[in-house]
Amino acid sequence: MALPNHIFAPAFRHRGLGWFLALLVGIMVYLASFAMAAEAGLSVMTFRWDRNMSSRLTVEIPPADDESSTPQSERVKQVLEKLRGMPDIKKVVPLPDSETAELLKPWIRQSDLLKSLPLPTLIDIELRGGASLDAADIHSKLRTAVKDVSVNDHAAWLDDLAHLARGIAAMAALTIFLTCTALVMTISLVCRAIMATERETISLLHTLGAEDDHIARHFQLHAGRQSIPASFAGFTLAVLSAGVLFFFLRNFADPLSLTTIHWIGLGLAVLAIPLGAIGIAALTARLSALQLLRSMP
Amino acid sequence: MAAGLYDGPMLAAFEHVSLRYDASRPVLEDITFTLPAGGFYFLTGPSGAGKSSLLRLIYRAERPTAGRVFLFGHDTTHADRNELPALRRQIGMVFQDFRLIPHLTAQENAALPLRLAGSNEDYIERHTRELLEWVGVGARRNALPAELSGGEQQRVAIARAVVNRPKLLLADEPTGNVDDETAIKLFHLFDELNRLGTAVILATHQHNLVERFKKPALQLKAGRLISTMAKAA
Repeated sequence: MALPNHIFAPAFRHRGLGWFLALLVGIMVYLASFAMAAEAGLSVMTFRWDRNMSSRLTVEIPPADDESSTPQSERVKQVLEKLRGMPDIKKVVPLPDSETAELLKPWIRQSDLLKSLPLPTLIDIELRGGASLDAADIHSKLRTAVKDVSVNDHAAWLDDLAHLARGIAAMAALTIFLTCTALVMTISLVCRAIMATERETISLLHTLGAEDDHIARHFQLHAGRQSIPASFAGFTLAVLSAGVLFFFLRNFADPLSLTTIHWIGLGLAVLAIPLGAIGIAALTARLSALQLLRSMP
Repeated sequence: MAAGLYDGPMLAAFEHVSLRYDASRPVLEDITFTLPAGGFYFLTGPSGAGKSSLLRLIYRAERPTAGRVFLFGHDTTHADRNELPALRRQIGMVFQDFRLIPHLTAQENAALPLRLAGSNEDYIERHTRELLEWVGVGARRNALPAELSGGEQQRVAIARAVVNRPKLLLADEPTGNVDDETAIKLFHLFDELNRLGTAVILATHQHNLVERFKKPALQLKAGRLISTMAKAA
């Protein structure tokens, strides 16, 4: 470094400009990291839901009518026999009535009412990999045993989920873009303010034979240094916030069930934000300073 | 290039140079002179005569409105901005208000030109220490400018101006903020630097000092050169 490292340090302290820069970098890193963490986390969860659900179907046997000659247990038995006879089906798990009632609990809290309701019987089935059967095939085969049976392949729900994930991803990308733009503009303004206060020193350095790059390098150095603690503070806060978010999402998909690869990918994606912010701050400071220096005599 | 005035090695030359900052009357008008290399020259005239502007033209802080400026034999009138740092590193500057950076110590201030020239730390440390001793402020090298007297600050500024052995030293009213006794000591210092091989152009309005040192002088009045190279009486 050609010039003493602290040559512009007082200018960055002047009127708290350095603190202002650090605070803004911290806030922007927080917003961008949180957006990235939320987006990356939801994408991973969506992927897992998609992977878990795409090979699974739910068979629903409505409660038997009072006038029906066949009792519900017999209808379930017939459907189970049919399902277990299909070679493409890997697993057939009928849900106990208690679990079905559990699914309705968020909407119907009175247990007496739940017990009195005629609930359908649900059977969770899992297809083998490469199975040629689809929901319509299974439905047509089951109808021969129980007429009013239905088969749900979750496609509509997964489509909605995919749309939601894409929407969140787009919003996160927009948030990160706007945050980066605001960061660049803020640092540029701070550099202008600092150069205005340091005009005499800069003019003296030019007189002594300093090149613009000598001076701009110091703006880069100071902006980079100010950004490091602020970026990591913002990042840490964002990780804690994302942790809280994942805690509330744990009932929808357990983040702890993610694989190591997912965790590493998520970590790298989120860590890129503070590192990127430090790089953007340093580069913006250098380019802003160079641009302003070129306009000086 | 100021043909006919001087044919030997050239320090600086002005050829019909004028300078105006706006539409008002010119700060300098039709200035022509040639200074031979290696000399010691006074630039005299009352306040507002254009002495500082003429010095600024020499180190290309200003571009002339008309005419041409030569330095070390090169036409610097239209020098590209990228060429200026190398040109300015061959020139030392001393200002009336010292222009020391307030939060750097005397030694850090004096070392700035060496740092800009990319010298190594050992050389910077040794050379600035020796030079500060030579100008008489060695014991104060770790002091901040605010802790130094006006004379001491100007000595640090002189050390900074000559630390990288420039070909030319420009001094703009260097004794304007010091007492007479210190001013005479500083003039002796400039004279000694000149004997060691650095050309000096010293702008001052203090006639008593100019007369005492008997050096060639350029005299300005209201932006015009009224006499050249006459040795002060």
